[in-house]
Amino acid sequence: MTGLRTPPQTGPATPPGDDFAEPEAAAAAIARKPGARLGLAGWLRWGWRQLTSMRTALILLFLLAAGSIPGSLLPQEGSNPTAVSQYYASHPVLAKVFGGLSLFNVFGAPWFAAIYLLLFASLVGCVLPRTLRLAGSARQPPPKAPRYLDKLPFSASYTAAAEPEVALQAAAAVLSGKRFRVRTGPGWVSAEKGYLREVGNLLFHLALLGCLVSIGLGGLFGYKADRLLVTGTSFANTITALDEFHPGRMVSPNDLQPFTVSLSHFSASYLTSGPLLGQPSAFNAAVRYADTPGGPTRPFTLSVNHPLVVDGVRVFLIGHGYAPTFRITDGTGHLVFSGAIPFIPVETSGLTSEGAIKVPDAQPQQLGFIGVFLPTAVDSGGQLQSRFPAPLNPVVSLVSYAGNLNMNSGPTQSVYSLNTAGLHRLPIAPQPLAVGQSMKLPGGLGTLTYTGYQQWVSLAITYDPGQLPALVSGVAVLAGLLLSFFVRRRRVFVRAEATESGGTAVDVGGLTRSDAAGGFEDEFSRLAAEMSGQAAKE
Amino acid sequence: MPVNSGLADVSNDFLLAAVVIYALAMLAYACDFAFGKKPAKAAAAARVPALVGAGAAAGSGDGESAPAVTAPAGAQASGRFGVGRWVAIAVALTGIGLAAHTTGVILRGVSVDRLPWGDMYEFVTALTCVAVAFFLAAMIRYRAYYLGLFVMVAVVLVLGLAETVIYTPAGPLVPALQSYWLAIHVTAMTLATGVFFVAAVAGITYLFVDRHARRVAAGRPTGSDGILRRLPGPEALDRLAYRTVVFGFPIWTFGVMAGAIWADRAWGSYWSWDPTETWAFITWVVYACFLHARATAGWRGRRATVIQLLGFGCLIFNVMVISLVVPGLHSYAGLT
Repeated sequence: MTGLRTPPQTGPATPPGDDFAEPEAAAAAIARKPGARLGLAGWLRWGWRQLTSMRTALILLFLLAAGSIPGSLLPQEGSNPTAVSQYYASHPVLAKVFGGLSLFNVFGAPWFAAIYLLLFASLVGCVLPRTLRLAGSARQPPPKAPRYLDKLPFSASYTAAAEPEVALQAAAAVLSGKRFRVRTGPGWVSAEKGYLREVGNLLFHLALLGCLVSIGLGGLFGYKADRLLVTGTSFANTITALDEFHPGRMVSPNDLQPFTVSLSHFSASYLTSGPLLGQPSAFNAAVRYADTPGGPTRPFTLSVNHPLVVDGVRVFLIGHGYAPTFRITDGTGHLVFSGAIPFIPVETSGLTSEGAIKVPDAQPQQLGFIGVFLPTAVDSGGQLQSRFPAPLNPVVSLVSYAGNLNMNSGPTQSVYSLNTAGLHRLPIAPQPLAVGQSMKLPGGLGTLTYTGYQQWVSLAITYDPGQLPALVSGVAVLAGLLLSFFVRRRRVFVRAEATESGGTAVDVGGLTRSDAAGGFEDEFSRLAAEMSGQAAKE
Repeated sequence: MPVNSGLADVSNDFLLAAVVIYALAMLAYACDFAFGKKPAKAAAAARVPALVGAGAAAGSGDGESAPAVTAPAGAQASGRFGVGRWVAIAVALTGIGLAAHTTGVILRGVSVDRLPWGDMYEFVTALTCVAVAFFLAAMIRYRAYYLGLFVMVAVVLVLGLAETVIYTPAGPLVPALQSYWLAIHVTAMTLATGVFFVAAVAGITYLFVDRHARRVAAGRPTGSDGILRRLPGPEALDRLAYRTVVFGFPIWTFGVMAGAIWADRAWGSYWSWDPTETWAFITWVVYACFLHARATAGWRGRRATVIQLLGFGCLIFNVMVISLVVPGLHSYAGLT
């Protein structure tokens, strides 16, 4: 279905039904209006022809492109569910309309699937008949040479001293030598080359289908998961241990490969000078992993662009942040919390991070805190800001609450934010705490000590059995494309006749289909020159 | 890797010099249109001898003659210009500008010790470099001097914009870009964009020439047509644009696939419908539309060209708007 430029009036060289013919001829046949007496079969045939026409394919291609646009401009459920909920909150009416049209999940929407399935049906309907025709034409010899070769788009003539038969033999020898398929007749030679062009065209379109099937395979049997891991902790690849889990339709929880990963150390380095101050230059996570729980562990250095592969599953380093550590005693003097709380970065230049601490075990009231972590806190006009992403002056500032955390009722809460509905804010101004500093809560509700910080990494865990088929299909797409663009299907005809003066007049004619890369005129003139030279030698 | 900021400054100087030289070349191409000799616009005879044979025996009386080859008239149309004085100056300036441009791009790479297409500014300087180089090659291959003015206007605009609006100081790469796939993926995308750039210029020129040709055919007044009369016919332009897209499309396809493989290595998923990916896909689909439309009756010509330009519009929208404004996995390609 690639470009085609056959010069007009190719005469008898393009008999009807020959695939050198213009596609419009076929299109015109397809475009026949259905008559009133068409039966069901006739209508079906008409519908199929409409679907597989180039015009329909073009419209479907356009729809595919246009349909993708909202997927790039609106937040998508698959990649950014938080942004989708934010959109619902800020534009409730519009979001409802968009949601109804699946515009927040364009690439999983039924209408998007309808477009690409129709496109592929159209494509198969176009490509399959071509395959059959190719199989037919590959067994056929080239057509007879037309009567008047100078009417062809490329033509040449020369005279030879040899007899016509000898001159023709010489021409046929040159063409065979160039791997043309040659057919001879009385007074003429015809030759054809470049069958791979059609093969490439078919390969391209079938390989596109292969891409779709591979993506489908991944969607059925693959899964994606996320896990945030603080230094010094570990997790096993089970559903309960994963923060996010997006299984394919055919994946059950028992199918997960049971490896474990622990994070020993994470290091990040940043540019410390120049105009790009603070830009990260390297992230490395030292992990230990085991194929099975309790199995022998092995070390691995995980970095961006360098995933860990365990049992066919790949683990990627996709993010990092800080988890300040706290010790909290309640009003009764008991230690009710000691550990690290992952804070989520809200900006990249200074890695200012936000998080929430929830202490449901505190007595007499439950405690909650909303905090900001500043890796390199600098006073700028009375306000603290983080000026560098590395922890040079790690400071925490907290707003304190007491009351009911409502953790056992109501909708599921995010661990990174506090639901303040059942809480009251304690009358203590948020003050910046340096590592080791404590904050006494008013009313004898307890004490919080900021003891330090850990680093955390976020890991993406993916399994996709469609990966290799997709790669193979992709390579085939490219190979098909190159063949169909750069192989020329061309025919060369030669006629020789004795002239009155005793010599032989040789006419050469050439015809090519879609000379996309150009250059047939050069090849044709070289061939003509060689044939002329060969005839002179005979 | 430390940044050699002295070298980076020299790179900037070379790139600024390139903008100035390109602007001069643009003037020279314009002067050719204004003051150059009018080409003999002989309605080329349907068949033009293209090869006066290599057969040494031609006409020596032994009954042999060299083949006289004829080719379709269109194939010859672009070759009918003699090189005038202004064109010679313009081409020389283009060559010098390209040398300065290439030196600037290379020095930028040396100053940061990596390939010089790691951010948007570098990407734009590199892709315009490819566009000019490809244009020079097309000019020599197809004698398409007439496109010089249009290519230079576009290059001066884009490069000038790069130097002023999206300039980014030289620096090392963020970890996400530290991969040899940067060399493969971004190089392919840069090449393909530069090639499509030339195709778009040829397409726009085609639209003007085609409109002019239709007016002439319809016998309507054509207004001032000094430039248009000096351009080759719409067929030659259409073919140049088509061949350019045919050259660029597999590179784009390869670039998108290399990006998918890199995404698979970096993010764990070869296709995530990230906004930049989505627009690369849309661009691919629209160019595929163009290739199909050009083979379909009723779409060939103006309609197909509009689709081609739409494809380039998608590409530019992706580079200039999506990568810089819409948040996504490719966001680091934007400004700091």
